[in-house]
Amino acid sequence: MTIPSALNRDRAQSLPSDLDALRQRIEVTARKSGARAVAVALHDIESGTELHYEADRWFHGASTIKVAILLAVYGEIDRGRLVPQSRVHVRNRFLSAYDGSPFRVLADRDADSEVHAAIGKTMRISELALHMIATSSNLATNLLLDLIGLETVQRTIDHFGLKGLDVRRGVEDEKAYEHGIVNRVTANGLVALLRLIAEERAYTPELSREMLDILHQQEFKKGIPARLPREVRVAHKTGDISTVAHDAGVVYPPQRKPYVVAILTEWAADAGSRSPTIAAISHAVYDELRGAKAVPNGA
Amino acid sequence: MDGFRLEKPRRDALMPGGALRDREGRTRQLPRYFFEIDSWNAALDYELAPHFHLWEFIQTDVRESGALRIFPRYVPCAVSLTATMLERFREAVGEPVRIAANGGYRSPQHELTSHASTHCWASAVNIYRIGDEYLDTRERIERYAEVAREALPGAWIRPAGEDRGFSDDHLHLDFGYVVAVPHDAPGDPFNPKLEADPL
Repeated sequence: MTIPSALNRDRAQSLPSDLDALRQRIEVTARKSGARAVAVALHDIESGTELHYEADRWFHGASTIKVAILLAVYGEIDRGRLVPQSRVHVRNRFLSAYDGSPFRVLADRDADSEVHAAIGKTMRISELALHMIATSSNLATNLLLDLIGLETVQRTIDHFGLKGLDVRRGVEDEKAYEHGIVNRVTANGLVALLRLIAEERAYTPELSREMLDILHQQEFKKGIPARLPREVRVAHKTGDISTVAHDAGVVYPPQRKPYVVAILTEWAADAGSRSPTIAAISHAVYDELRGAKAVPNGA
Repeated sequence: MDGFRLEKPRRDALMPGGALRDREGRTRQLPRYFFEIDSWNAALDYELAPHFHLWEFIQTDVRESGALRIFPRYVPCAVSLTATMLERFREAVGEPVRIAANGGYRSPQHELTSHASTHCWASAVNIYRIGDEYLDTRERIERYAEVAREALPGAWIRPAGEDRGFSDDHLHLDFGYVVAVPHDAPGDPFNPKLEADPL
């Protein structure tokens, strides 16, 4: 956990008026976008500044829940039950969380064809984890979830005392969805989860850095990173289905410690401007925090 | 390799000569004699039949016992008979036949092993692909099952379907509880009880 320096604490104390401005910018962006709902949670590791905008509202988690699964997989690695090089049979057959009936991940709805091409063969856990996050492969996600079990994910969430994360089924489990079994997240929940990783409190610093490295390889960049300067690195995970669009990540501006932000949005099924809304809010957050960089002691 | 001569961790995982119960509660005796495979390269090189090498039958994943995921690896000697049967099946379909990971030999300790699975005898295979076709529809599974029935009289083929005991993403070919005993195997001590009542 980063403890803000005295100067940063002063800065944090002076921030509420700045955050009011940020809050207003988020409100205006949300109103103009036509989104049904927008939520933002922010934690600045540099200054300790936090913002919570509808941050405890539950949303369909879409693919953001894959970060919780990543954390649980690394928990199994930490406990010695798995190693990243362990091989997993790539099989497109899973059992519904509702009634145990089999279902498959449709190849044409999955963003990643590489994992589908390996059906019948094996892939390493490290490869599946990368595909689950970087290209949001649903098949890789379900394979990892099938391997470790839903109960392991929930146990991991409970172990770290994380609120606002509810992982109850695999991806594309339509029967479970129809019966109200839904994976849900809040903006606060995702920020708490990502802080664990960013602050290297997830098991060991080494394992935290391995997870961060995977999150840094995210290939979908139309959300949080889209309007940030090129030198800003972002380790993040998007989530996108017909009615929600999310992005949650750790943002590394140069010359300062990172901040963690989750931007969750809900839409009518045919709505546009989903990614631009997330990008605009991300840009507003970046703008506001740019002045909150660390001031060296004695400066 | 006589499984009785292996060190304990591998013996515990392979259960040579041990017993498993099938779904109906009948006892089935596991194989005692195994091929020993020193390395993955050796498995790649070892030809069991013109189109089947040993590696295809020992591809397992993290669900296999840890003691059996490192070389040397072991597979029951009946695998050579299974490969011969598969070669005949391959001739009948005229296309390459691919065995799935976890679809060749699985030990009794493999997490997917339930009851007396014939995979523990190396006498069953799960085929997930023939030529360019993935066997993930009822139509394809049944079409190739029919070819198998004609080419391999006596083989048991798991019916296509989603329920327990059926398969919906592979063709399961099964040659029963086959045990192969090499000529130079030491054999079992004389058992007067069996002599008196062989059945």
